[in-house]
Amino acid sequence: MPSPDDMGESPHLLLVDDERSIREPLAVYLSKQSFRVTQAGDAESARMRMAAYAIDLVVLDIMMPGEDGLSLCRHIRATSEIPVILLTAKSEETDRIVGLEMGADDYVVKPFSPRELAARIKTVLRRATGGGGLRQHAPESGSFAFASWVLKTGERALIDREGVSVPLSTGEYNLLLALVQRPRQVLTRDQLLDLTQGREAAAFDRAIDNQVSRLRRKIEADPKNPDIIKTVWGGGYALSTDVTRL
Amino acid sequence: MPWPRSLAGQMALLVALTLFVAQAINLALILRDRAAFRVSQATRPAAARIADALDREAAGRHLSKDRGRVRLADRSPLTPGMEPQPELARELSQQLGEVGVARRKVEVAIARPDQFRLQPTRIERRLARHDDGPLPDTVVIAVEQPNGRWLVTSSPWSRGDGRLFWRLLAQTLILYAALLLPVLWIARRISRPLRELARAARDYAPAVPTPPLPLHGPPDVQAVIAAFNALRLRVTAMLDEKDRMLGAIGHDLRTPLAALRVRIESVEDEQDRARMADVITEMNRTLDDILSLARLGRPSEPVTDIDLAALVDAVVEDFRDLGSPVSFEESARLRMRLRPSLMRRAIRNLIENAVKFGGSADVSLDVGTTSAAIVVNDNGPGIPEAQMQDVFTPFTRLETSRNRDTGGIGLGLALARAIVHEAGGDIALSNRPEGGLSARIVLPR
Repeated sequence: MPSPDDMGESPHLLLVDDERSIREPLAVYLSKQSFRVTQAGDAESARMRMAAYAIDLVVLDIMMPGEDGLSLCRHIRATSEIPVILLTAKSEETDRIVGLEMGADDYVVKPFSPRELAARIKTVLRRATGGGGLRQHAPESGSFAFASWVLKTGERALIDREGVSVPLSTGEYNLLLALVQRPRQVLTRDQLLDLTQGREAAAFDRAIDNQVSRLRRKIEADPKNPDIIKTVWGGGYALSTDVTRL
Repeated sequence: MPWPRSLAGQMALLVALTLFVAQAINLALILRDRAAFRVSQATRPAAARIADALDREAAGRHLSKDRGRVRLADRSPLTPGMEPQPELARELSQQLGEVGVARRKVEVAIARPDQFRLQPTRIERRLARHDDGPLPDTVVIAVEQPNGRWLVTSSPWSRGDGRLFWRLLAQTLILYAALLLPVLWIARRISRPLRELARAARDYAPAVPTPPLPLHGPPDVQAVIAAFNALRLRVTAMLDEKDRMLGAIGHDLRTPLAALRVRIESVEDEQDRARMADVITEMNRTLDDILSLARLGRPSEPVTDIDLAALVDAVVEDFRDLGSPVSFEESARLRMRLRPSLMRRAIRNLIENAVKFGGSADVSLDVGTTSAAIVVNDNGPGIPEAQMQDVFTPFTRLETSRNRDTGGIGLGLALARAIVHEAGGDIALSNRPEGGLSARIVLPR
């Protein structure tokens, strides 16, 4: 039985979805995973619940009649630090981009596995409440410029000096994102594993080292003698260039 | 010479031909008139002179053999080298009859200057001093007298006027030039808007909002353009409607699927639950494919500069992350302009098929000067040659034995091909001689 390790009581989730057929069984499932769950069927009642309870995390459906999930997400981000996980019906790029730009911490695409959602809730909560001090409130959206590269999170594209996009695998992207969000910070393999997993259904059991060497081959001028992703003695990696947010 | 195919060219050619025929008829008519005129010019004065000479002879003045316009000869002066002119002779004898000379034998021929020459008269000698041009041909006219002697006279004969033809030709050209400008103007007025229309129809991309074509040209053409504008609006509206409907269908089907997916978590039997989850995932994939295929006509993703080698590598890496046996020969950077996530999807579908039916996939890039090919080889059973094309048809599945586990509803290849076609390329399937299927995405560079 998983239990939130460093919290006195179980986290309180607010589940916002207009579809009862999803919301209710999901609430039951999450309750069994030792979360406390409050439900809301629309944006308005969600605001009321948030005012009434100390909510630790909001699970939010994007497509709702009336005020939609994106607008509510923007409101939450503007008024609080409460993390948000979006439920999206579409796997369309645009929805994901907009969702992340609105400041959501993560998203799952319907139909999702409740287990996966629970795992992501835990990951996001751990990040939000410490988790090795890695949490810096950084919405994932936007672009990061480092060395001669630009990483665009919306399109999940790595653009080189000539404007040519160099596609990355899911694993490579997640790793690079974790690194550019924390420049000049030493990240252990465990931390990197923790930061890069739970984003996507891709398996995470391939060694971080492997991913790093693949990334180096793509972005380093001389992969044998890396300038951008440095290996730190004692186990870990660090992005050794400055990062500008665009 | 190739016929002109454009409207303006054909109209210009047609006008030229018509003018040419009209002018040719004109020329023939003029030539006939000129010929008749020449005959009478040659014969009438001669007839008058002969009648006059006969009158004078009757009055007692003898004709000389070497003086005057009409002379006396013992024999007919006509020689075989001259061109006999029986028609002129007939004409002349008729005219002699009209002026009261009894019917006699008349011989007429045209002689070159070296063949026949009357001693020039005084006036002619004087004129000749001023005129150094070539001597003209002569019509030699001989009328037999009842006493067996001949009256001989001559008049100058102008050969057919060659300049006439050239003058007419010049006239035709001037007419043609004058006509050509307005003809070309009209043709351009019609053909330019038609060309614009053709281009607009060819380049019509429903995803790109385009202002209506401006109405140019004559009213008939304007009506066509207006109709095209209206048609384009209707098609765009229909496609919008289709997109909205597909979006609604997608949402309405995904919601119950999502509800189902949440509910099966309460199924106790681990295996049962996994199988149900797979079915739901599969249904969702199918739904995705249907929606993508239906939306492909108006891709929302822009074309981007991209490193195709890295793209293929990333797709392969995603498969390897999931533990699929997929290999990729690393390849040098290959810059292309593509819609990256659509192309990713096409490549993924091919690799997925290879893994599903062939057990593994070997991916490589084959780069030429004008095209680049992504090759996906597997070691499976391949596809019977006769069914090579069928697999691209949506909802086609080859083996009847295929069950839902290996399933898909056969949209994968159809979608991949639609994506590749949209990018201007093609997919070719072939059975490898060493066994297994080879799928080749060829893209123009």
